[in-house]
Amino acid sequence: MSRRSPLDVWSAVTLAGFACVLMFLIYPLFDVFRYSFIDKTTGALSLSNYTQFFGRKYYINAFIHSMFIAVATTAFSILLGVPLAFLTTRYRIRGSAMLNTLAVLALLSPPFIGAYSWVTMLGRSGFLRQALSSIGLILPPIYGPLGIILADTLQYYPFVTLMTAGALMTTDRSLEEASQNLGARGIRTFLTVTLPLVLPSLTGGALIVFMMSLSNFGTPMIIGGNYLVLPTLAYNLYTSEVAESPGMASTVSILLMVCASGVIALQQWASTRRKYASMLVNRPVQKRLGPVWAGPAHVLCYLIVALSTLPLAVVVYYSFRNTSGPVFKTGYGLASYRSIFFEVPKTVTNSFVYALVAVVLIASVGTLLGFVIARRRRLSVRVLDPLLMVPYMVPGTVLGIGFIVAFNRKPIYLAGTGVIIILTYFIRRLPYSVRSAASILKQIDPALEEAGINLGSPPGRTFRTIALPLMKAGIISGAIMSWVTSMNELSASILLYVGKTMTMPIKIYLSVLDGYFGTASAMSTILLVVTGLALYLVNRWTGKAGATIVGL
Amino acid sequence: MTSIRIAEVEKRFGTVRALKGVSLAIEPGELFTLLGPSGCGKTTLLRTVAGFNRQDSGDIFLGDELVNDEPAYRRETGMVFQNYAVFPHMSVFENVAYGLRVRRLGRKDITQRVEAALRRVRLEGYGERTPDKLSGGQQQRVGLARAMAIEPRVLLLDEPLSNLDAKLRVEMRTEIRDIQKQLGITAIYVTHDQEEALVISDRIAVMDGGVIQQVGPPWAIYKDPANLFVAAFVGSMNLIDAEILGEGPSGFLRANAAGCELLVPAPAGHYDLRRIRIAFRPEDATGTGAAPGLANELRATVKTASFLGSAVSLDLELGGRSILVERARPGAGDILEPGSTASFAVPPTSILLFHPETGERVTAVGEEA
Repeated sequence: MSRRSPLDVWSAVTLAGFACVLMFLIYPLFDVFRYSFIDKTTGALSLSNYTQFFGRKYYINAFIHSMFIAVATTAFSILLGVPLAFLTTRYRIRGSAMLNTLAVLALLSPPFIGAYSWVTMLGRSGFLRQALSSIGLILPPIYGPLGIILADTLQYYPFVTLMTAGALMTTDRSLEEASQNLGARGIRTFLTVTLPLVLPSLTGGALIVFMMSLSNFGTPMIIGGNYLVLPTLAYNLYTSEVAESPGMASTVSILLMVCASGVIALQQWASTRRKYASMLVNRPVQKRLGPVWAGPAHVLCYLIVALSTLPLAVVVYYSFRNTSGPVFKTGYGLASYRSIFFEVPKTVTNSFVYALVAVVLIASVGTLLGFVIARRRRLSVRVLDPLLMVPYMVPGTVLGIGFIVAFNRKPIYLAGTGVIIILTYFIRRLPYSVRSAASILKQIDPALEEAGINLGSPPGRTFRTIALPLMKAGIISGAIMSWVTSMNELSASILLYVGKTMTMPIKIYLSVLDGYFGTASAMSTILLVVTGLALYLVNRWTGKAGATIVGL
Repeated sequence: MTSIRIAEVEKRFGTVRALKGVSLAIEPGELFTLLGPSGCGKTTLLRTVAGFNRQDSGDIFLGDELVNDEPAYRRETGMVFQNYAVFPHMSVFENVAYGLRVRRLGRKDITQRVEAALRRVRLEGYGERTPDKLSGGQQQRVGLARAMAIEPRVLLLDEPLSNLDAKLRVEMRTEIRDIQKQLGITAIYVTHDQEEALVISDRIAVMDGGVIQQVGPPWAIYKDPANLFVAAFVGSMNLIDAEILGEGPSGFLRANAAGCELLVPAPAGHYDLRRIRIAFRPEDATGTGAAPGLANELRATVKTASFLGSAVSLDLELGGRSILVERARPGAGDILEPGSTASFAVPPTSILLFHPETGERVTAVGEEA
């Protein structure tokens, strides 16, 4: 007597995972792919878009610009990130916890706030630039590649810091001691032992920076001036092509995706190539710096973090300045906030509601799929796993174009709804949620679930009563991170919004374009506070609940 | 009390045949041990009985019931895990109550049964503790109590003591046997520790390469190994290749073992090979020392002499093979210098014979029974 049902809960989850990916990822991306091969004038299948891209300097330049920005940002991020990581992990730096928090806050802040803040400081009428010119130091306006690199670097360098610091904290002290014992002086030990050991993590962080910078849309849009990069080019092409088929925009999107997947492939390769699993018998200790070096080390650390915090502080400051339309007046007040809540309250609620709905979807679907991937390595799951990682390498602009093309016709009309924005949040964040759920599960002994099953609890109940409670802390902190990134999403939603579905990042972007810095600052400040609060909550959650998982 | 019958069970993982047609009949109330090195298939077999693996072919019966198609959560087997698998987010009480709650027992019943189970493993009063406040041994007791609380048909123990320290292991193995006997529950016990297996089991199945090598009570497994694998895996066994020279006294043959002439038992029945592999246990060597002149004597070069307190263990070299002999209650003169020659005698009756190629036991005259 067979009482085994052929379709258990987890097969259904796998099936649903496939449905999600096919519907909201493959289907729209295939449209982008297809349109990139359709000649705009004849409507026939052709390579004309590609030949046009590589034949015109205007397009080629955007490609070169993108690469230049990404390479430069990565290089500068390493330059800032590695010393900060090394100093704060190996030496006692006062207030290093605060430095860390501020760096992460800059990292998580909406990508365009930094750009916009640098414009207010060093733009055409930037206060810093004017102040400097009054003492005779005349700087060119910040618009263009320098501005993009400045804003990108100061936002993304913490990726390098975090990854490198993580590795530095888990290298066994004895390795460096062995090197010194064998006669290598400090700098030689660093170059021949420490650096090679953390290099895989450092490379990993650097590639994330490269990827983020390559697909960033907000920063080049606000501070780039006429300097077009691939995402802004795709956006411009799309918005001007809108009536017809998005041929050229699709081609640019595909090329952008090819670059992005190249970077991801490189990152995967780098992360698997050389991993130095360490027994970590002797944790590294933080040394006290001598009187000569303590000063410069502190100055360097504080300078780096101050530079990346400065744009955020400026935004907060400006949000309390009185304004009259686009003009700042003397005096301080809450006028900018008042105007938000009276004029565009819908924008604020939209952001919160969309992000909240998206997060519920992301956390629940991500957790279930993460479970399937960690615990059910069937053939179907092994196919699904890499598919779920595709959103990693799809820049927001590309996904936005895909969505608007695919869901603006039969059988699914979603254009102009909040649903389409929620879905972009969902699909963009899903891989992170799946990955994090799967990695939490990898730290939970499968024997615990087997013990539940063995005691007579069916698979569904076992998941609910054993796996889920153990994953809770991780799921919640992951959900909070997803919520923050969704709240700050711009590059896809800017293509998909209509008046009634506008969100805060979009409103900030539009306000900046119109010169309403007061409104933009106030809204940015709200996002920053929300981001900071979320960060605090995650710290508390993982700090408290992390012990239950580690203490297994 | 439930018997367990395993019939021709095959299990493949990819191209690896983890179980090659395993058959076993385990008696009701028996403590039955699966013993073998890692990768021998013992854990796979246990997990197949528990229902975590589905065998590719063959049958598993619990009592008279064929359970092939029963999912793991309906098999009513109580499993104790190697790494305890105590739920870290539940108190000790909740851990033990888990299976009872799944069975929708009343609150009173649950409290009673949990308390009884905790008493049995000597953890009364620990109900409200969380697992992170317990030692490894206590956690494993919780695991045991939890498995017993559901009053399973059979108890399955997967290397339950291997994560504990040596002293606790010795303590708990008698405790587990006592509890199992009190409950009269049929149990399968998986271990790679041969001493543990000898102490705890009613019967042992020695496994290697997905095949059962021998089934028998501990005494028979140790004294009467069916092949070279069992002989060498359970305890230590010295092996010497010997050439048969001719007839000896009744029931014995004269053989040349690495240059020494020895009397060895004569194989029963027809044995037409000139060569044979002889084996004896270290503790069966007698008269170990520097002075020659013993009957059935072997002489070998000392590699190392290890003083173990209650005994001296001599690692010797004989015809290119390593030989281990032991001398209990040693005197100062028994700790021989490396490079010196040691003599020892092996009583012909404690020599076992094995086929030089197949490694199968060659029965000697007088062993047929």
